[in-house]
Amino acid sequence: MPRREPDDLRSLGNRLDAARGKDTPQGGAPPSSMGIAFRFGTELGAAVFVGAGLGWLLDRFLHTSPVFLIVLFFLGAAAGILNVMRAAKELNAQAASSQATAVTEKDEEN
Amino acid sequence: MAMNPMEQFEVKPLVPLHIGGYDLSFTNQSLWMCIVVGAASIFLLYAGASRRLVPTRAQSMAELGYEFVANMIHSTAGDAGLKFFPFVFTIFMFVLLSNFFGLLPGSFTVTSQIAVTFALAAVVILTVILVGFLRHGIGFLKLFAPKAPWYLLVLLVPIEVISFLTRPISLSVRLFANMLAGHTMLKVFAGFVIALGATAITPKPYWSVLSIAPMFLIVAITTLELLVAFLQAYVFAILTCIYLSEALYLHDQH
Repeated sequence: MPRREPDDLRSLGNRLDAARGKDTPQGGAPPSSMGIAFRFGTELGAAVFVGAGLGWLLDRFLHTSPVFLIVLFFLGAAAGILNVMRAAKELNAQAASSQATAVTEKDEEN
Repeated sequence: MAMNPMEQFEVKPLVPLHIGGYDLSFTNQSLWMCIVVGAASIFLLYAGASRRLVPTRAQSMAELGYEFVANMIHSTAGDAGLKFFPFVFTIFMFVLLSNFFGLLPGSFTVTSQIAVTFALAAVVILTVILVGFLRHGIGFLKLFAPKAPWYLLVLLVPIEVISFLTRPISLSVRLFANMLAGHTMLKVFAGFVIALGATAITPKPYWSVLSIAPMFLIVAITTLELLVAFLQAYVFAILTCIYLSEALYLHDQH
């Protein structure tokens, strides 16, 4: 959002941002271990639940019990594992980027 | 003994209202939602009114919130994501303040109801779908088709669809379950204090000394709950951003 500020204030802001390495203090707070565990748990559980639920509904409407329930249960489990892998990838990327900024900060100090 | 730790989650009608067979009563749930929305509006309007160069305390709190959410969107969804700042900010503030207000003694935790969290998650997912189709047209469906030979796609497309359908569920269940578990735990330990304290009038009054132990635990858990309240609001908002960025860029990592 463009905002008009006096020049000396802006340069002060720029210097402050440079000094504290702009994005590190906010927005990228590392989640706690419990938060991570909870996230993985719900991702895995919800996918199995959704898969099985979808299969159950399809069976009800198509009168094919239990074909879809069984098939979609396993697909749901696969989707759950996919979800967890994606979540882990995200967290890894986050950790790597925060580590990278920490390293560059150190380099700038030296 | 009437100590039900789940009683705090009961939705009670304050102003009964039935229209056309539907129960539209104004409940304690509605009341606390109004309080949360009202408090957020009043705070932000008040904080934004002064617009000083050297911010007042309230203004700098609001600016901190603004920058926090703006950075979060920028780091996950890039420049195009900033268009959705009002949406994400509203959701973040609503969840955050609901969680915090729920920690006040005697209050009602809006986010401990699956109906509320699921409605929020449904709004998020519907927005994501709408944005995806508006931006990419029918090409949005490519989200469900990773690069793979056709015989694998038969298997992969259903998996991707289920994975996508999981999002509103995991998003809502996580917030709801965290709030429910935390508040139940607080009430259960509070029950221990009373149960142990009540032994003072039994033949073995020395047991009542022990009631101090769960009291300290409550203090510790309340601190933890403050952290959880913020963390869950943060997780809800950042996942909203991530889902939006997928709809905007059709995740390029594939």
